Amino acid sequence: MSKKILLIDDDTDLINIYKPFLQKHGFEVEAAYNSEEGKKLFKSFKPDVVFVDLVMEHFDSGFVLCHWINQQPERKNAHVVIFTSTGHETGYRFSTQTSEEKTWINADDYLEKPISSNDLLQYVKDKVLKET
Amino acid sequence: MKILDARILIIDADTGVVEFLKNHLGNHHVIESTGSGIDGIAKGSSSEYDIYFISMSLPDISGRDVLHAIRKVHEEAICIMMSDNPSIDSAVQTTQMGAYNYISKPFDPEKIIPMVHRALERRWYILEARRLREERENNLAELSVDKSRLSTVINSIDDGILVINQNKEIIFYNPRFLQLIDTDRQILIGDSMFRYLPQSLQKQICEILQKAESEGKTGAIKQELVIKPPLELVVMANTAPIFGENGQCLGVVSVLRDITEMKQLEQSKSRFVNMVAHELKAPLAAIHSYLKMILDNALGDDIVTYNTYMKRSLERTEALMELINDLMNIFRMDSKGVKRNLEKVEVADLLENTVDLFKPQMEEREISVNLALKHGLFIKADPEEIRRVFTNLISNAIKYNKYEGNIDISCVEDGRWVKVTVKDTGIGMTADEKDRLFQEFFRAKNKFTRDITGTGLGLAILKKIVDEYAGRITVETEFGKGSTFTVYLPRVMNGE
Repeated sequence: MSKKILLIDDDTDLINIYKPFLQKHGFEVEAAYNSEEGKKLFKSFKPDVVFVDLVMEHFDSGFVLCHWINQQPERKNAHVVIFTSTGHETGYRFSTQTSEEKTWINADDYLEKPISSNDLLQYVKDKVLKET
Repeated sequence: MKILDARILIIDADTGVVEFLKNHLGNHHVIESTGSGIDGIAKGSSSEYDIYFISMSLPDISGRDVLHAIRKVHEEAICIMMSDNPSIDSAVQTTQMGAYNYISKPFDPEKIIPMVHRALERRWYILEARRLREERENNLAELSVDKSRLSTVINSIDDGILVINQNKEIIFYNPRFLQLIDTDRQILIGDSMFRYLPQSLQKQICEILQKAESEGKTGAIKQELVIKPPLELVVMANTAPIFGENGQCLGVVSVLRDITEMKQLEQSKSRFVNMVAHELKAPLAAIHSYLKMILDNALGDDIVTYNTYMKRSLERTEALMELINDLMNIFRMDSKGVKRNLEKVEVADLLENTVDLFKPQMEEREISVNLALKHGLFIKADPEEIRRVFTNLISNAIKYNKYEGNIDISCVEDGRWVKVTVKDTGIGMTADEKDRLFQEFFRAKNKFTRDITGTGLGLAILKKIVDEYAGRITVETEFGKGSTFTVYLPRVMNGE
């Protein structure tokens, strides 16, 4: 069974590119353009990997969404990645190791945009395929 | 030293004295005389003579009264009393009253003339002393005028000024200084600076004092100090040492200038540049990714998706060009001295005109437009700018409308205003979105707006234009139902 990837990002272009590319490489991909759609798809689609954009409707939409994901039973089967260009633009670097991140957001990783389709593909392969 | 051209007043009924003095003192002195005591007082008080000769026995009043009256007016007058019947008593009495001398008639030239010369000498000293005293008083008066002028100037300067001595005590400051270090406290002259000054300024002063002490001559230090963070009060502090004549450091003088506005402007400018960079980069990055996917053949022979990529790239390119146009407009509006071609603009005509340009877009989305325009209303404006306002409103009403939606456009008079309303049946806005609507680069982000391109500058420009004409713009909106934008522009009244 192919691995499932959920992209949650309000950037149409980004989804336009990653979605068909990952699909072409054998993944099942769904995309949500905001937190609400993201929540629905997380429950129904049951992804193995979730990419969550940080700044969507609000500057912290991604954190809030991750917090919500943490409380879902489906969380334990998913690899959750905060995916943002904010750090790149503001100079702020995230860490998934601070206590706040651990207890409240609890993302598994943090990826900085922009990232090429090939790098993203490689990342997904490393994280998901090798673990299983 | 003595007076060589003295004015002498003789108050004596006996004219022989006049002759005697004229003969013996030489004619370079001016000698006046009167026989009446009353007349003598009048003459002698109205101007000051160098020497007064006063007879003790006058026909009208006593010589003592004359002496008293004249000394009352001229405290330093030299009065020589003359008596036909000299007595010790009257000599003592008149001397006590301030008489310079007491002589008996008839005069003995050998005694009198040297006495007169001594009197003139004395007079010279009196006048010289008086001159010096007046000079000194004048200097002091000038000095105090200078001082008060200087302090008025220093107190009126818009920069804060502070002087510290080498013991780090405050020895001078002006009122502006207190404002610029944001304190309500009164500083006591002579108090330690550590009690009052912000730490950053203390540090600067200590640094200067230390440098001046160790290195001798040193220059000023110029530094920005944030008094009220983050950018509520920022000053440029310019601190320089004060050196005495022997080169020793006496203290420092700090001049504080308010640069808050400048810093705020700087910050908002760099924020704007940052946003511009981001807004330019995002579409370019997308176009770049699309092109790369196509060239890399990343999706194999998925021509349909490649086509989507090319279409989307084209859209984003167009959006970029639109953005650059808008940026140029913003800069044009912001730069002073924009040339406007003001003319009387018929609002309804311009609206009809603008709507016509959008017919194709409206037909494409099957949007119907209802016009309720009152003709004959004029504003004084640059028609191109007002056209930009209308274009913006109508294009938004189309872009954010639903398929087969409606647009109501009206134009009526409202007191001194022309009121233009554009109402759509579109997606509307949330309260939060409405609040941020006129911010540069703000765009509502939700599932409806996802595919709508825009620069995020349109309404910011629109507001700038409306503000320029002293008009106003209001928005009513309901999320999911639609928005109504109303622009008020000052109407040209009849006869204007």
